[in-house]
Amino acid sequence: MAASISGYTFSSVCYHSANSNSDHEGFLLGEVRQEETLSISDSHIGSSEFLSVIEVHNHEPCAQLFSFYDYAGNVNEENLNRILKDRRKNVIGWYRFRRNTQQQMSFREQVIHKQLTNILGIPDLVFLLFSFISTANSSTHALEYVLFRPNRNRYNQKISLSIPNLGNTSQQEYKVSSVPNTSKNYASVIKEHGTDFFDKDGVMKDIRAIFQVYSALQDRVQAVCCEVDQSERVREKIQEEVNKLKEEIALRKRNSAEEERRLQEAAAVTLPDNSALPDTSALPDNSALPDSSHSSLTRVVLSGPSVEPSLERAVNSSSPPIYSTTLPPDSPSAILLPRPQAVGSPGHPSPSVGLGNGDGSSSDSLNRQATGQEDEDDDDEDSSEYENLVSEQLQPPSLSEAVTLGRPATLWPDGDAHSPPGS
Amino acid sequence: MKHRLAEMTGRPMRVVGWYHSHPHITVWPSHVDVRTQAMYQMMDQGFVGLIFSCFIEDKNTKTGRVLYTCFQSVQAQKGSEYERIEIPIHVVPHEAIGKVCLESAVELPRILCQEEQDTYRRIHSLTHLDPITKIHNGSVFTKNLCSQMSAISGPLLQWLEDRLEQNKQSIIKLQKEKEQLTQELAAL
Repeated sequence: MAASISGYTFSSVCYHSANSNSDHEGFLLGEVRQEETLSISDSHIGSSEFLSVIEVHNHEPCAQLFSFYDYAGNVNEENLNRILKDRRKNVIGWYRFRRNTQQQMSFREQVIHKQLTNILGIPDLVFLLFSFISTANSSTHALEYVLFRPNRNRYNQKISLSIPNLGNTSQQEYKVSSVPNTSKNYASVIKEHGTDFFDKDGVMKDIRAIFQVYSALQDRVQAVCCEVDQSERVREKIQEEVNKLKEEIALRKRNSAEEERRLQEAAAVTLPDNSALPDTSALPDNSALPDSSHSSLTRVVLSGPSVEPSLERAVNSSSPPIYSTTLPPDSPSAILLPRPQAVGSPGHPSPSVGLGNGDGSSSDSLNRQATGQEDEDDDDEDSSEYENLVSEQLQPPSLSEAVTLGRPATLWPDGDAHSPPGS
Repeated sequence: MKHRLAEMTGRPMRVVGWYHSHPHITVWPSHVDVRTQAMYQMMDQGFVGLIFSCFIEDKNTKTGRVLYTCFQSVQAQKGSEYERIEIPIHVVPHEAIGKVCLESAVELPRILCQEEQDTYRRIHSLTHLDPITKIHNGSVFTKNLCSQMSAISGPLLQWLEDRLEQNKQSIIKLQKEKEQLTQELAAL
């Protein structure tokens, strides 16, 4: 079995994932087709093999986590239908993106997968897992992806996902010389019949024809692109308006809560000799406190809901936050990244293909086996706890304290790759 | 290009670095890359290099990988070989795709076709080729253009259409949300 996804669809999933402060998930839409491969060998003539190929055409990102399932992993079919609508019949799998986690399905993911298989009626539903890791200094980042087929037995659990590309563009197929041939017959026949291929200008008719097709296609690409651009601007604008409204509402609520609190306190102060009120004598002292401490107290009390910036940002994507101009020397997430050495050693180009240490051995942290083939069911529970903790809460600070590349980097003679002192 | 970009984005633009891809091979810059980066830095100390490694698959674990790294070059001592130093890089979340990005995406098939035309024109100018060879070369051109259309233009168009649809749905949702919030604000 094989699977393929276009570079554009793949990039789109990466794009939605990168925009997300928490884990990100969605559905894979496409089709499964049977490809017949004919093979001829000395031992048997004309044996054909059938290969199932999963073609991913598109993805349907979920705006939030838990949009079709709950904390216990119970899938809600109604919500599922609301998300998928008429695309339900095109679902061939689902995907999840997580940061700094193992390349294996978590327990909850397995539970959800089983239910999706039954509800959607797709016996060979696939699960595409994206895992993102970075070096401690954030200079190198890796996105790993594995396509699981969890409904099969242990031995067939992962499928190669290929991203078709243009292939060999070395232009070696054009012939710069003809095979020397002195045959007069050859020359005359090909000249006589070959003229059908060329127009009066000596240009091959096929070339003009195919160029027409290409031109028309490119024009259409351009036209649709313009429409997309317009829709992006409209979406951006409305998103901004929504964010402003939310801010305004939050501000009004804060102000009116503050007002109410002040009124309450004022009312409490003016109540004469009420023995039921504790420490009434202390209250006039409070009212003598400067306003700033009052409001700071209320600010502390009322800022509760916004304590988790990651969740808020996931819900309302606001305009890009203001980035600090200095690189934090030890960004908090760096300490918690499980495998800082996983993407190679700093400063020394690694000769080995893929990620590994300079001497050619792979860090075994990076050689994480996608454990479809092993008996490691017990590990799943741990990784699911970890997945929720690390991805959803700890990643956001490193993103929000990101440094733009506008800061002039200077050359450090000692090859120090880390932040320049004092800037 | 700097001026056109500045016009399109409404912000002053300058070239801050270069990028290239390493298909099927490791993300680390080669000696040539490090040297090239060092040359750029002589003109602009702040110039950075980005490398994207893609189409990597570990056949054993069936794990695919895409990596990217940011680097500059440094010379340990005068006259010695340049070495890579690592530069932190962060991908900044942005909900909408910018016009410049969309244009770049659409530019790719155009560039590929242009390159193909240039190659073919050079071949076509060779007059000593017999008709069969000319037909062969013309077919190579046709084949290559077909490859480009099915590998690049087609999927690109599909993604654009899907993105358009996604945006339309988002806009509907956002409109509803905006109305709700407006009512909520009015009630306060």
